[in-house]
Amino acid sequence: MYLGLSGYNHESAAALVNNDAKLIDYCREESLSRIKGDKSFPKRSIRKIIENNKLNISEIKAVVFYERPLSSFLHPIKTATLYFPKSAPLISHQLRNFKKSSIGCFLDLASIFPGLEKKLIYLDHHLSHTLNALPYSNNQKNICSVVVDGFGDRSTSSISQVNNPYDIREIWTCKYPVSLGLLYSAITDFLGFQVNEGEYKVMGLAAFGNKKSQLAKKVSSLLNFDIVTKRFEQDMSFFSYHISPNDSFSEKLITLLGKPRNPFESLSTENKDFQKYADIAAGAQSLVINNLRMLFEYAYSLTNTTTFLFSGGVAMNSASLDSIASLPFVEKLIVPPSPGDAGSAIGAAYYGFLKNSVKTVKFLPKPDLFPSQYNYENQLKTAKKILDKDFKILTNNINEALKIAANLISKGEVIGTLIGNIEIGPRALGHRSLICDGKNAKAVNYLNSVIKNRSPFRPTAPCMNLETAKKYYDLRGELMESYKSMGATCSCKVGSGSSNFPTSHIDETARLQIIEDNSFLDKLFRELKEFDIEILANSSLNASGDPTCYDLIDVLMLSARHPLRYIITDFGLLESKFFGHI
Amino acid sequence: MNKTLKLNKEEENRYLNILNETLSAEYGSALEMLAACKLSEKDTFAYGYFQHSKDEYNHSKTFYSILGKYGRKFGEEISRKYRFNTNSLIAKGYLSREGYLIETMKLKDFIAYVYTNELLARDSFEGILKLFKKNSNERDQISQIMSDELRHHGLAEQHFLKYYPKLQPWQLMIYRFRESVKNKGRKFYDKNLKFLDKILTPLYYSLAFIAGKIIYLIDLDQFQREGKNLMDIKSKSII
Repeated sequence: MYLGLSGYNHESAAALVNNDAKLIDYCREESLSRIKGDKSFPKRSIRKIIENNKLNISEIKAVVFYERPLSSFLHPIKTATLYFPKSAPLISHQLRNFKKSSIGCFLDLASIFPGLEKKLIYLDHHLSHTLNALPYSNNQKNICSVVVDGFGDRSTSSISQVNNPYDIREIWTCKYPVSLGLLYSAITDFLGFQVNEGEYKVMGLAAFGNKKSQLAKKVSSLLNFDIVTKRFEQDMSFFSYHISPNDSFSEKLITLLGKPRNPFESLSTENKDFQKYADIAAGAQSLVINNLRMLFEYAYSLTNTTTFLFSGGVAMNSASLDSIASLPFVEKLIVPPSPGDAGSAIGAAYYGFLKNSVKTVKFLPKPDLFPSQYNYENQLKTAKKILDKDFKILTNNINEALKIAANLISKGEVIGTLIGNIEIGPRALGHRSLICDGKNAKAVNYLNSVIKNRSPFRPTAPCMNLETAKKYYDLRGELMESYKSMGATCSCKVGSGSSNFPTSHIDETARLQIIEDNSFLDKLFRELKEFDIEILANSSLNASGDPTCYDLIDVLMLSARHPLRYIITDFGLLESKFFGHI
Repeated sequence: MNKTLKLNKEEENRYLNILNETLSAEYGSALEMLAACKLSEKDTFAYGYFQHSKDEYNHSKTFYSILGKYGRKFGEEISRKYRFNTNSLIAKGYLSREGYLIETMKLKDFIAYVYTNELLARDSFEGILKLFKKNSNERDQISQIMSDELRHHGLAEQHFLKYYPKLQPWQLMIYRFRESVKNKGRKFYDKNLKFLDKILTPLYYSLAFIAGKIIYLIDLDQFQREGKNLMDIKSKSII
């Protein structure tokens, strides 16, 4: 068994790969701690994985950390020294927080799971991203891996040639502090959203902006891929993330773009500054797309391969994938369902497997979309009184529950789902979802604004089977794998009417999910046929600011705090008695 | 906010800081109670913690909306510093790095802790109440929260005496005294830490300069990977 870990910088997680290279368990720390984007040492995830799988420490052959901690610690300080004395606060902050950095992983393991620290090994951060993406490719030989994130342990983006799982050669890198990911985060901050959390809001907002506006052009010129030097060029004087522990952009950016958005101001189309901020977001989005296209063109020129792995935090920018996939040389673009740092724990676990196997493994098997083990039965006893007093079990027969749920959806109701294991990535794929009729604007609006309390400019994703998707959307063969995990957007088919669906964004795109055969959603769609419902709106089972629900008590709490009336579970359909009293 | 007060930037900072800290404390309590609910051995205990957690979540929602209201009023430059981020709960000390209280304390101590801290929280709300003018929505909302805290305190007391009958109410008083002293100590430490921080900053920066000079001498380029097989790099190396 091989345990992969990520943490300390962004979302922390733990993953377990067995001796047959199969991902058998995975857990994000935020699921258990209930702290969104929890980056602390993943002690709860490790404990849960050990308990779920009844592991002895002796059975774990290697514990693999997703980066090289000293490198990750030294690079930002070394860069900051070039900007002294302006950078003194950052250097001082880094040094004072030495113990809280990822260097502490060894000591944390030793104190909480004694014995495991002796098995601790490390790999390069971008390699952990590559190995997270690799199992999703049908071809694992002679392909190219592009990794783009904020900062790993030595670079901010890289291109590698994957000759086979044992031979992965890095052929180009972009050095810190020049960073596509950190620039996008700085714009996220400028727009009043939380760094490392609000980037997807910028992506949603961008669709409302005009990328040809003056503001957008100013933003999109902040970083460029120079085709002569083959480097990203970024004027660092607009940014502060490399010299300050608190600020990500400088006064110069404020002079360029005007006043940053007050994070407490509501952001809706009626807002007087809405267009200004949407244009800035459009500029940032356009910058990302243009530079990624150039990076992929360069990657192609270096590797001459047509299958690309794409991972790192920037690969979560689902709106950029369609454009990259449209490049003439791209035949396959593989983005793992969890391309960020949480997912790189999976890559780390695969590394442990590969390092301990004789070099005969030619292929890493594709992981399941729902690997994070959860069994509700353990919690039924604890939750008995909550269920008895505050919830009504409408049926405890799952087939009947599906029929009733279908009927409720046809009447415009929103249903929460708590089915089996939790999703591998940040997107809800049916097991921890809020779902409703995807063509019913009132229901979608209720789900988005009332239950989730989300900003109205953010769209809700649609899900459907492949046949329906082909009818309404322009799908790309290069991205088929990503559609299964809601990882990429696609355009609405002209004349199909889909641009008017409430799940379509203002720019006539949708981040759709194509469901898998025999999945829970597939079974529900069979029941929905009777009501002519072919598209469901599907959003993660949480309220704004909270992590996605993990267990039974989380979902009961969500329903107690927000007007979510119905929940379908493995043990039947529940109705909340809180409904109408919130 | 009390209209009779004309606030300067420093006071605006203080007000938003108080609201942000209170929100953090309430959200932290909600998570503590949720964890207690999940780890309860009896469903009746779980039910109590569930309700308590729901109340704390609602309190944090109230403070979030008050913070938002005054954050909008005070302008972007100040407000930006007081965005609420759940990830800061551990750094600020509202949640322990070691784990939730229920994971690190004996049940008896945990209940006594809840008993005491609900009362302390209620006391600190008295101070927050003074920030708002009479008959304002905020005062009403905070008064409601105060009565919730008092109810939680009472429930914890009942629970404690029911399940630990050998302990007398005066023993709870000791718990309360101990927590009050700790709380005052924390405030004193925090205040002095900020003061010390101001004094020591030049020293920290000088040390940062020296450390930076040393780190600058390390040639990190020798660890560059271009052209290398990443799978062959030593897996024990931390650089």
